[in-house]
Amino acid sequence: MDFNRICLPLWVKFTVEELRRIMDYKHNIRNMSVIAHVDHGKSTLTDSLVAAAGIIAQEVAGDVRMTDTRQDEAERGITIKSTGISLYYEMSDESLKNYRGERQGNEYLINLIDSPGHVDFSSEVTAALRITDGALVVVDCVEGVCVQTETVLRQALGERIRPVLTVNKMDRCFLELQVDGEEAYQTFSRVIENANVIMATYEDPLLGDVQVYPEKGTVAFSAGLHGWAFTLTNFAKMYASKFGVDESKMMERLWGENFFDPSTRKWTTKNTGAPNCKRGFVQFCYEPIKQIINTCMNDQKDKLWPMLQKLGVTMKSDEKDLMGKALMKRVMQTWLPASTALLEMMIFHLPSPSTAQKYRVENLYEGPLDDIYATAIRNCDPEGPLMLYVSKMIPASDKGRFFAFGRVFSGKVSTGLKVRIMGPNYVPGEKKDLYVKSVQRTVIWMGKRQETVEDVPCGNTVAMVGLDQFITKNATLTNEKESDAHPIRAMKFSVSPVVRVAVQCKVASDLPKLVEGLKRLAKSDPMVVCSIEESGEHIIAGAGELHLEICLKDLQDDFMGGAEIVKSDPVVSFRETVLEKSCRTVMSKSPNKHNRLYMEARPLEEGLAEAIDDGRVGPRDDPKARSKILSEEFGWDKDLAKKIWCFGPETTGPNMVVDMCKGVQYLNEIKDSVVAGFQWASKEGALAEENMRGICFEVCDVVLHADAIHRGGGQVIPTARRVIYASQLTAKPRLLEPVYLVEIQAPEQALGGIYSVLNQKRGHVFEEMQRPGTPLYNIKAYLPVVESFGFSGTLRAATSGQAFPQCVFDHWDVMSADPLEAGSTAAQLVADIRKRKGLKEQMTPLSEFEDKL
Amino acid sequence: MELESNYEIALTADFIRSRNFTRVALQFPDELLKDATRVVKALRDRLESPSESGSGDGKEVGLFVMADTTYGSCCVDEVGASHINADCVVHYGHTCLSPTSNLPAFFVFGKAPISISNCAENLSTYALTQGKHIMVLFGLEYSHAIEMIKEALMLESSKLSGSTSNLEFHFAEVMCSVMNPSKDCTTSNGHLGSVGSFTANEGFGKATGTRYSIGGLAWNLPEGHRMEDYLLVWIGADNSAFANVVLTFNGCDIVRYDAVDNRLVTDLSQQRRILKRRYYLVEKAKDSNIIGLLVGTLGVAGYLHMIRQMKELIAAAGKKAYTLVMGRPNPAKLANFPECDVFIYVSCAQTALLDSKEFLAPVITPFEAMLAFNRGSQWTGAYVMEFRDLISSSPVEVRNQSEEARFSFLQGGYVEDFDLKETEDAEEDEDGALALAYATEKALQVRDKHPNSLIKGTAKSGGEFFAARSYHGLEMHSNDSSPEPYLIGRVGKASGYEGEKGNENF
Repeated sequence: MDFNRICLPLWVKFTVEELRRIMDYKHNIRNMSVIAHVDHGKSTLTDSLVAAAGIIAQEVAGDVRMTDTRQDEAERGITIKSTGISLYYEMSDESLKNYRGERQGNEYLINLIDSPGHVDFSSEVTAALRITDGALVVVDCVEGVCVQTETVLRQALGERIRPVLTVNKMDRCFLELQVDGEEAYQTFSRVIENANVIMATYEDPLLGDVQVYPEKGTVAFSAGLHGWAFTLTNFAKMYASKFGVDESKMMERLWGENFFDPSTRKWTTKNTGAPNCKRGFVQFCYEPIKQIINTCMNDQKDKLWPMLQKLGVTMKSDEKDLMGKALMKRVMQTWLPASTALLEMMIFHLPSPSTAQKYRVENLYEGPLDDIYATAIRNCDPEGPLMLYVSKMIPASDKGRFFAFGRVFSGKVSTGLKVRIMGPNYVPGEKKDLYVKSVQRTVIWMGKRQETVEDVPCGNTVAMVGLDQFITKNATLTNEKESDAHPIRAMKFSVSPVVRVAVQCKVASDLPKLVEGLKRLAKSDPMVVCSIEESGEHIIAGAGELHLEICLKDLQDDFMGGAEIVKSDPVVSFRETVLEKSCRTVMSKSPNKHNRLYMEARPLEEGLAEAIDDGRVGPRDDPKARSKILSEEFGWDKDLAKKIWCFGPETTGPNMVVDMCKGVQYLNEIKDSVVAGFQWASKEGALAEENMRGICFEVCDVVLHADAIHRGGGQVIPTARRVIYASQLTAKPRLLEPVYLVEIQAPEQALGGIYSVLNQKRGHVFEEMQRPGTPLYNIKAYLPVVESFGFSGTLRAATSGQAFPQCVFDHWDVMSADPLEAGSTAAQLVADIRKRKGLKEQMTPLSEFEDKL
Repeated sequence: MELESNYEIALTADFIRSRNFTRVALQFPDELLKDATRVVKALRDRLESPSESGSGDGKEVGLFVMADTTYGSCCVDEVGASHINADCVVHYGHTCLSPTSNLPAFFVFGKAPISISNCAENLSTYALTQGKHIMVLFGLEYSHAIEMIKEALMLESSKLSGSTSNLEFHFAEVMCSVMNPSKDCTTSNGHLGSVGSFTANEGFGKATGTRYSIGGLAWNLPEGHRMEDYLLVWIGADNSAFANVVLTFNGCDIVRYDAVDNRLVTDLSQQRRILKRRYYLVEKAKDSNIIGLLVGTLGVAGYLHMIRQMKELIAAAGKKAYTLVMGRPNPAKLANFPECDVFIYVSCAQTALLDSKEFLAPVITPFEAMLAFNRGSQWTGAYVMEFRDLISSSPVEVRNQSEEARFSFLQGGYVEDFDLKETEDAEEDEDGALALAYATEKALQVRDKHPNSLIKGTAKSGGEFFAARSYHGLEMHSNDSSPEPYLIGRVGKASGYEGEKGNENF
């Protein structure tokens, strides 16, 4: 990824100075990301926008995939990393005459981020959304709203990002499917409807109505590959004068239940049944386009030129010699340029930073919403204190260094400025994860190259040099002296790193290289986790197989200078849980035999573990609020809820210890020791030393030595651990395995293959739906992550390449086999895990943990 | 008679007599304690009988049996011996041959049975399959048989010499069996070793080269040879001495000849695992804030120096160290210090590796501590077990690291050792009393931050840890604000306060 390799300097129509100037016009900036399901045409569509800004030639737009800067992205044809581009765009007075919002002149700056569509890289989308205010949702008109469209859309709305929609791949309707107008309309309206269903669930008074309507201009219809697009505005303008109505009235007629009969020249709200009566959209938008396309494709040039003249489209003379598809593409690009339609839609309907930050501040800022920092963010105040969020790190051309890429929410960041870096673990008032360093250079992206600028004011995206040694993935920056600023809220990812591989270097002496490489890898990707196992193996954890593959490739080629690495087979981490309450109260004695702990284990109520994961119930809650949730939603006794000693592992995990004792002497003295023992035990369960999940340990009784010296931590901590293990083993322990939600789209003839592969892999289908108006089926299934390795390949083979799965981690599922029963599948699994970890293959028996009186 | 030879009664008696020792401590490990009375009797008989050297002056020699050694029984228990004012220590059984600091010592390794022919056969067949020179190391209890193995090997290879490969067997030699207290902690003296190295074809000059020593064994490598060029063969059991060798020479191929099973063990993946596990512990130690310094020896020369060096190292890393003396550590003892994130165990090389799932916090060696707490030092695979070698190595490397924040692999992100800056601040005002006040203030802040939270922040010192605990000891409930009249408490030592019964006559 060599950003310095400037390949296309020729067509750049704008200069850094111009760009920098508009950066100060906070009303004329649009920060937006392009989001969609994989292969719905984001990058291709982005190309047409980039072309409009003059970075690449109009002719090649659609083929270049400007934002896919990596070689593997180009080879695979998918986007892996999100890429930002700043575009300069000048609107004419004519087109802006209906614009009601605030503006300063006609020049606009659009900071656009193209994001990956494959679900394995959704963390990139999350990072992109954080620093943008609007989103262009791209949906394939045939495939419709898919799982990833839904995921990213939800995420966008969660971040209070205003969406606009484009129904893409219109060319398929005309060339491939050849559907008639009414059918096409139905398909489009269903796509829009589906998207609106999702958006409607996010009722947000501050953000207002986020649903999209073609008749309001918030939906575009595009053919990214051919570089054309339109909104109803385009056509409304064209016909308004002809019908003598104003544009907005015309727009309404072009969508929905409005029919026109050319023979009577009457509008009706019902199809009159007359042969010429057609829906407004079909009559005035779809059919003309269809006509032009067909004329071009059939090379009926004698018919074409008059038609074009009527539309006011003039072609250059050399373009007139083009034939067939090339001609069609050129004609459509000239008539309905994608950039004009899309950029107008963005400028008109997406918020500027100054508008968006008014309502986004609540989502962004962790501190009190009335301090100076919140106010500065709310007002997008360039004179206020610096508040900048670094959302990702981008590898720079000099090996091993990174740009910190982010968005300025208030104030200005400039070259040489000393900034306070607040990392993800920073707690206001403490010195943990806090650095003061100076920014060496501030940089903005213009296509594939970057330009140094003196400073960048709020509302813009920026890349900074010189901070990479203090930021792992993200951070909040502020001015050096602003010590009471709170950080900007950390991003929440929709995927989790459930697939892991162990890596080691082939040559032992390469270890320092590996360590350095892993450090860089951890930086370069928002999701990947590089850690170390108890056994001393280095682990890379990612969201899926593809994600890991890309990470390993980056590690070896880019971050380790090609030093060879050996990777293990993918490993999945399990969890340990219990099915029932312990069959008896178990007891363990301390090493000196003078103290006895009695405990029982029971499963947590259904949904409670998830509530703890989501942070709805947690150790930091106010005890009253916690006991309210527990008693109302999970049926806990109010008093009991106050007796929670702790959560674990790591003090926040989905297991807990509850004190059920009555009148025990010195109990408060050993609480800390029991908690310490529990943190330890819940991290390494008794079965295979995997984390525990969803277990509640009840302390039933405690007998302690009267002398404080004999009931110290040394006696109680190991005993607490043993009794916890004993109670786990007596409560029908089970393993939990991670399960993917798989969504597959395929034609009917591929269904057989899909079902058989899923069956083979222990998956089960829980939803099968035909997409109305298409021959495609939508299948949703659960698939154990363990079985998912090679799944996508097997599936492709079984369906001759017609099915493409998208897997997202969904939940933990109990494995029904009993790990304590010798020879069961679970017992085998436990033995395998223990072997991999270098433990004794045989589980430690209950008798080692439980003592008799 | 077997006892006589096994326990080297004659040699021991000569040693005692030749140096005119009058009070001799006999140190037995637990497994040999059952023979103690018989050994004492045999030794006494030998000492009392007029010796052939004629110097039987009839002076009474006091023999004392010492058992249940506080630390590892491989080290000479000098503290125990000084309780009886012994002049020397005779150490029986497995030993690490760590130098002593005050008393001379005589080591009796014992003689473990070994099938010499089988061993030689195994070795030579194995050597033929490998193309490397072979270095033979052995457990000290087999040192009695080494000469015979050499001869057997000579025989074996001469049989094969027709097809001759120029295979070389090198044998390490036992450094000494008598040890004098070393004033200089880096060298040990007194060579009583066997003959030089042995080669199957021809001996080579041992004039120049690098000298290696480990666990009482020593050998020379000629100029230009590295340990990695050799194949190591260990004769003996899979014990701590072997683990020591595996870790120290982790770059070499190592096989083990098991004298009990009479076979060659070539699969040593478990041993390799240890090294990786140690690597993990180092990474974990990097994240620690409070460190317990466990004193694991009171005899090995230089231990005080090492402890001081460790304290300096920890202080330089901005962390807090507490020195703990607790005899041989076990999980229950260590769990009494839950505030320590990691323990450093300063002990002889062979007891240094303490790794058990039972420990709440990891226990690492001084070498590992140096890796963990020296910013910029990297795990290269080289491993040093004996802390004497550490002392001689440059204590603190130049901190030339770029000012990059430290990346923690346990947390998968940058973690700053946040005390670094604070210690600098603290040094500025140089007021100890004030520093304490700050620390207390900080501790109070920590405590007050989340009064209702079940989470405790990470403590940076023992004081903070205690402040963060939910139980703070007895609470004062009295509302009576008037001061209690004061009483004079006890005076003196806990072993006998002044005014206590039985102490009055002092």
